[in-house]
Amino acid sequence: MKLYFREVSVAVALVVLLGALAIFAPAFYQPQPLLSLLTREMPTLVVACGAALVIITRQIDISVGSMFSVCSVCAGLLAASGWPLVAVLPASVAIGAVMGVFNGALVAGLGLPSIVVTLATMVTLRQSLNLMRQGEFVNLPDGVQWFGLGQFAGQWTIVGAALLVLAALGLGMRHLAVGRFVYAVGSNAEAARLAGVRPRLVTFLVFVLMGALTGLAAMMNIVQSPQVQPLSGAGLELKVIAAVVVGGVAISGGRGNLWGAFAGLLLLACVSPALTHLRIEAYWEKAIQGAIILLAVVADGVRMRKEKS
Amino acid sequence: MNSGESRRPGWKSLLLRYETLLFVVLVAEWLLFYHFGTTTNRRGIVVGFGTMDRQFDILRHSCEIGLLALALTPVIITAGIDLSVASLLGLCAILFGKFHFDAGMPIPIAIALTLACGCTGGALNAALITTLRLPPLIVTLGTYSLFRGLAEAITHGAVTYTGFPSSFLALGQGRLLGLPVQAWVFLGIAAGVWLLVHRTVHGRSYRAIGFSPEGARFAGIPVGRRLATAYVLAGLIVAAAAIIYTARLGQAKADAGMGYELFAITAVVLGGTSIFGGTGSIAGTLLGVAAIAVLKNGLATLPVVIRMNAAEEMSGLMTGALLLVALTGSIVPGLLSKLRARRQPASPTPVQDPA
Repeated sequence: MKLYFREVSVAVALVVLLGALAIFAPAFYQPQPLLSLLTREMPTLVVACGAALVIITRQIDISVGSMFSVCSVCAGLLAASGWPLVAVLPASVAIGAVMGVFNGALVAGLGLPSIVVTLATMVTLRQSLNLMRQGEFVNLPDGVQWFGLGQFAGQWTIVGAALLVLAALGLGMRHLAVGRFVYAVGSNAEAARLAGVRPRLVTFLVFVLMGALTGLAAMMNIVQSPQVQPLSGAGLELKVIAAVVVGGVAISGGRGNLWGAFAGLLLLACVSPALTHLRIEAYWEKAIQGAIILLAVVADGVRMRKEKS
Repeated sequence: MNSGESRRPGWKSLLLRYETLLFVVLVAEWLLFYHFGTTTNRRGIVVGFGTMDRQFDILRHSCEIGLLALALTPVIITAGIDLSVASLLGLCAILFGKFHFDAGMPIPIAIALTLACGCTGGALNAALITTLRLPPLIVTLGTYSLFRGLAEAITHGAVTYTGFPSSFLALGQGRLLGLPVQAWVFLGIAAGVWLLVHRTVHGRSYRAIGFSPEGARFAGIPVGRRLATAYVLAGLIVAAAAIIYTARLGQAKADAGMGYELFAITAVVLGGTSIFGGTGSIAGTLLGVAAIAVLKNGLATLPVVIRMNAAEEMSGLMTGALLLVALTGSIVPGLLSKLRARRQPASPTPVQDPA
């Protein structure tokens, strides 16, 4: 209980928010809008899983938003040129993984700070996309939306797939040796090396996985509408980092888990509909999300101080 | 540094300095744009990069990003980072407009209050980073959202403050002694920060902290207080940048300076300040700012880019690429010294994994 205090407190905050909504704005609980809200957040969840891994290894990746946009547009173009969906999906994942390889090579291979490397790749990728597409939308052919399953089944497919990714990674981080390696590298890379883990390889693979998951998430996103927006990933990096940090993953590495990140994501995702339903002006959304992030890090700081003394 | 280095001052060490290299690159860049970006139009008037107007434009545009870079340099020297500078710029611009129009304050008082607000924003970062020992990256990521969010909340994302008196707009659009007015402000602040970082004990301690906070503490440096001043100073300079930005454009909007943090960080890193802290110079930052400003403006004058109508995208792309090159270049000295150490096998240690 004490060990998972952070995760539990986020879950409690989420339950309190949902409870407040149940009392003051019962209109929030309509099955179809709720399912739509959940579906909209699922691509973010998949990216947040990757971001959690990256942050647990004591790195950061702020290029995910740009990677997401690039994967979306590429997948959209492939689908529009007549590729079947079963081929577009792995292609999107592969494109994401290639970008992850680039980030991983610079961070793990050359030992450069990930914040600056991914800042540079974020801008380079985003501007390359702008340059090539000039902000054009991609029209998707019929049969791509909701994987051709119809809205209801499509939404459940997306939710199911995202939760599957969450469960697989969450359990893997807990029970597989590779998962423990990630924690080991994030806690103390030198100690991990002496224990026989290869920190640079682990870091590299985490960045590649981050890219691949972004490709998958992009796929989950483009099937939700008949067009691909070239700017769909703008600001995604902050959203996922906020979710992960609020969910109790320590930015200093080695601590936290995916369940907490999931709770953090849901908490932040509920802010915007909660504002609408509680009739607070929506302009406050960004400020409130910033305040939640600061609150979460302050809670971490206070707790660390207490533990030390 | 070691004594071997200090024994050979003079032209050789000056030539080998990173800043000199950057200066050469800057001059080469400028000449390149001068050659390819200057054309003569049908009436025989020179247009494009080579004109005096364009040079003043470069100077005007580089003032705001330059101020943010100046704000960031001490912070990065202490091995910290401040991602919130551009958001704080937006918030300060909005507050300035609000003070002047909604509260009806005269310009000087509004400026003073805006500067105070900038300090407060910096102080919030400083308090979270120093008293709670939180990582600067995540604190300033939080305030990055918070400041921009407050600016949007105050203006409801729609209000734009315009109609400032022309005496104020002269600050951003006029000239004084041949140079744009804000260039004088910029040079003044740059001189101040240079004095602080390079010529005072206080500024010296930033490097000690960036190199090793624990070591600095043992040397008797009040690490927390020094760090706090770096962030508060950053807030103050950002507020000044916000006022200049408002004066140049004649309007204050919630999205003022969005994305500027990237250009500022790029300028600082390009200028040779290590993102790991401990080393850096104001001269390097100024050269980095100039390199980026020339690139940004120069690209917009190239016929190819004009034909493609892609000045914004190209400058972002090139800045990102430049940052990657500068970063990759920054590990070369470390690699060289490692190689040198390997060439003299003093002790029979086995070849190590370079991790």
